[in-house]
Amino acid sequence: MLRALRAYPALLRIGFAAVVAYRAELVVWILTASMPLIMLGVFDRVADAGPVAGLDHAGVAGYFVAVLIVRQLASTWLVWELNQQIRTGALSAALLRPLHPLVWHSAETLATVPLRVVVLAPLLLPIWLWRPELQLALDPASLLVFTASVVLAWGVNFAVHTAFASLAFWLGQSMGLFQVWFGVWVLFSGYAIPLGAMPEWAQLFAEWAPFRAIIGIPADVLSGRVTLAHAPQLLAVQALWLCAFAALGGALWRRGVRRYEGQGA
Amino acid sequence: MNAISARGLTKTYRSPRKAQGLLASLRSLWHREHTVITAVSELDLELAPGETVGFLGPNGAGKTTTLKMLAGLIEPTAGTVRVLGYDSTQRPPELLRRLTLVMGNKQQLLWDLPPSETFELNRALYDVDRARFARIRDELVDLLALGSVIDRPARNLSLGERMKCELAAGLIHEPEVLFLDEPTIGLDVSMQVAVRQFIADWSRRHGATVLLTSHYMDDIAALCSRVVVIDGGRLRYDGALTALAERYAPERAVRIRLARPPVEPVGPLAVVGQELVGQVPAAAVPELLARVMATGEVLEVSVEPQPLEDALRRLFGGAA
Repeated sequence: MLRALRAYPALLRIGFAAVVAYRAELVVWILTASMPLIMLGVFDRVADAGPVAGLDHAGVAGYFVAVLIVRQLASTWLVWELNQQIRTGALSAALLRPLHPLVWHSAETLATVPLRVVVLAPLLLPIWLWRPELQLALDPASLLVFTASVVLAWGVNFAVHTAFASLAFWLGQSMGLFQVWFGVWVLFSGYAIPLGAMPEWAQLFAEWAPFRAIIGIPADVLSGRVTLAHAPQLLAVQALWLCAFAALGGALWRRGVRRYEGQGA
Repeated sequence: MNAISARGLTKTYRSPRKAQGLLASLRSLWHREHTVITAVSELDLELAPGETVGFLGPNGAGKTTTLKMLAGLIEPTAGTVRVLGYDSTQRPPELLRRLTLVMGNKQQLLWDLPPSETFELNRALYDVDRARFARIRDELVDLLALGSVIDRPARNLSLGERMKCELAAGLIHEPEVLFLDEPTIGLDVSMQVAVRQFIADWSRRHGATVLLTSHYMDDIAALCSRVVVIDGGRLRYDGALTALAERYAPERAVRIRLARPPVEPVGPLAVVGQELVGQVPAAAVPELLARVMATGEVLEVSVEPQPLEDALRRLFGGAA
């Protein structure tokens, strides 16, 4: 553990160097995750007829800006990477290093954050100019809660990716299954639609499902829709999902690696 | 304690089987057929510390599978493996810090970054202190002549340059055990010689234990006094390289050029133009040469051992 911590700054630095090498591809990836901008336009029109799910024009803008920010900060492409590595045998080199491959992958993901922020800024500026009244909860206490929430969101997302990717040890590749998850996630995470705007049954499902732990909860915190008194409960929900998926992902990974045959390598 | 010790090592795979064609594809949607393949069967292997051993066999013999099991990359179906006293199937970090597996057809180099970044990554991963890292890196750069390539992106390097960088990346942490799978594959002759020389120098300087597979017999002859041969996943030979050659290729290729075309064959030597040519059992060479030399017409004599490939071809029944 101590060795991993000592290695981590170097991993982040090299991860960043790799990100810069792939910068054009990464910018495209970041832009493909800009669906919240489209949904912002849609819900802004809906809000012309009155607040939707308690959100007026400023509220809609604040919510989707928050979603955009959370999506960039809590994102990972681990499932794509691992599927490719397992299928082609490229995982072999990583497995023979004395540091867990997922630690290296986590550093690779986190190393993209600076570039994501750089790409995000020019996307946010026009929204601010368009809806200057939009508000985010930027007081220190809210920012602290948001930081905790977005770290947990990233953790849940990474663990979910680990679990789905590990299925590739059995299936050869698990992207199809992940796409099913992703489709449901888009609907019930708050990514495309504020959960409050959904039918009651869907809200109930979303409340008990893990999806909002990745987007909805931190986005609600950042857009000021969560009181500080209610925040610990939401963080606890995220922490529970993190534990559940970390346990599932860890178990699948451990069993899967024992089946790994390093074909093609 | 042996550096590497494997007992009853066995690996079986379930491999999907599908006939060609649309119907077979549709059938495979609901009915998958599998074949059980035994890649390695009850293999025993011991390597003493500092030993360099050639691991030979025809394609599909189970060499790479064995290396992967020994390194802890894949789990044996049966048997035990201990490397430096550790159960390598558990891949303990303490062991991984002391071994390397370099595979000629796969790269651990970061593709879009210069090899120097992969070296730095490995420094961090293997927790090598900076002074030691600088010393080893400089030694590797010097021995492998990497000075002009380590700062260029890996994707821009030639196959030979990449292979040398792969080797260097695998050695940054000064491993005590090296599993080298075809380290000279695809390299031109001069590069093969350079890499071969490097492996010999490195193992001598560092006292490393090396298990090496190669289809180039020159690699094996230059580096290994002992060879282990497997075929069909089973051990076929384990012993001195010279003994293997004597046992399976005991003849010498004899060629004698004479001042005048010989009138008739001499023993097993046939007449070819102005020469007597043939394969002669090693023990019979002195007497045969004496007979021909007695004619007083000999201009040139050549006696060569049979290529190692011939010994393997005989061992594998023509499969090598």
